[in-house]
Amino acid sequence: MKKKLNVIWNAIIPNNPVLIISIGLCSVIAVSNSVQSALLMTFAFAMVQIPSNIIVSAMRKIIPNEIRVPIFVTVIAAFTTIAALISQAYFNAVYQIIKLYILLVVVNCIIIGRAEAFAYQNGIFDSFLDGVGNTIGYGLVLVTIAVVRELIGKGALAGIQILPDSYQPMLLMVLPPSGFIMIGILTGAIETYLRKKGGKK
Amino acid sequence: MKSVVKFAITLGLIAAITGFALAIVYQITKPIIEAQDLKALEQGLSEIFPGDYEFVKLDKPISSKDPSVQITESYLVKDKSTQKNVGMVARVVVPGSQAPIEMLVGIKSDGTVSGVKILKLNETAGLGANADNPKYYVDKKNKITFLGQFIGKNVEKDKLIPKEDIIAMSGATITSRAISTGVKVAGQAIVSYLKEAGQ
Repeated sequence: MKKKLNVIWNAIIPNNPVLIISIGLCSVIAVSNSVQSALLMTFAFAMVQIPSNIIVSAMRKIIPNEIRVPIFVTVIAAFTTIAALISQAYFNAVYQIIKLYILLVVVNCIIIGRAEAFAYQNGIFDSFLDGVGNTIGYGLVLVTIAVVRELIGKGALAGIQILPDSYQPMLLMVLPPSGFIMIGILTGAIETYLRKKGGKK
Repeated sequence: MKSVVKFAITLGLIAAITGFALAIVYQITKPIIEAQDLKALEQGLSEIFPGDYEFVKLDKPISSKDPSVQITESYLVKDKSTQKNVGMVARVVVPGSQAPIEMLVGIKSDGTVSGVKILKLNETAGLGANADNPKYYVDKKNKITFLGQFIGKNVEKDKLIPKEDIIAMSGATITSRAISTGVKVAGQAIVSYLKEAGQ
């Protein structure tokens, strides 16, 4: 049981896809300036990451090694399209804002990276847990950054005005550079934590 | 050679299965998405011309003089009681900073803008996306939104150029310019159509 939990934990903190492995940054920076966008993006990410991990793992014995990448991409592309259609049908308002980034989940390095590095070599249940862990790891970073950026950049949270009208929003925080700044701060924090815990260096 | 055939069959099979799965999801979500688009269009039309009007879709949309501004649909606006033309609404597509912007431009018979409504917008959140934000005021004192400032402007007499007679959105010059050009070009096309039809 502990081993299974470890699979999830590993993907959230010690091997966080965004902060430690530093992949899939484009979408993180692009959609993390509002909490609503971040939540829908996490939903779309989960809709692709978890099922594609399961399918790749289930088919790992019949996928020929030489053509595994095109097969991964086909599976991921199918789930991305499904996620996009569902988002458009049920969360249309937010979907219209971040449409492009949901469609770009298809080439998100995290998903294809997990298919290649984990699901292709591990059992279905472990791959499912790995998908869940990576989704949490990705979503947690995305939402944390979005809360800070939306609060400082717009004075709002999830589209609801929180700070008084007299607060002058800081434009930089909704622009892409603040995404990099926030990722830098969080990476610093998580590295410090890991080093203290592991006694590294 | 043998393995190539095997690869082709495996890949083909997987593609066929995923294609089938996609078709099912598409069929399920299609009516919901279409209903949303239609609702947005109807809502937009009645927002631009509030009141008792009938919208008659033209078989062939009016043509635009600027190749970057496409008019995909146009609706004659008729007063329900008198059956007289009071104006026209054009569905316009202009290139935005990231993806095409789709909007409705409504012009009254006298050439003034009755309203502008965005249907599809993929601009940067917090910047260009503010074009559609009902709480983003370019004129904070009078609570006028970016689109609101077009209302009442004359498409023939006014320039409709950002930073001249249109207040641009901060950080979104391209979006501001694209929408202003779209309103201007579509407006002029409507005015010349209405003039011809009136004769």
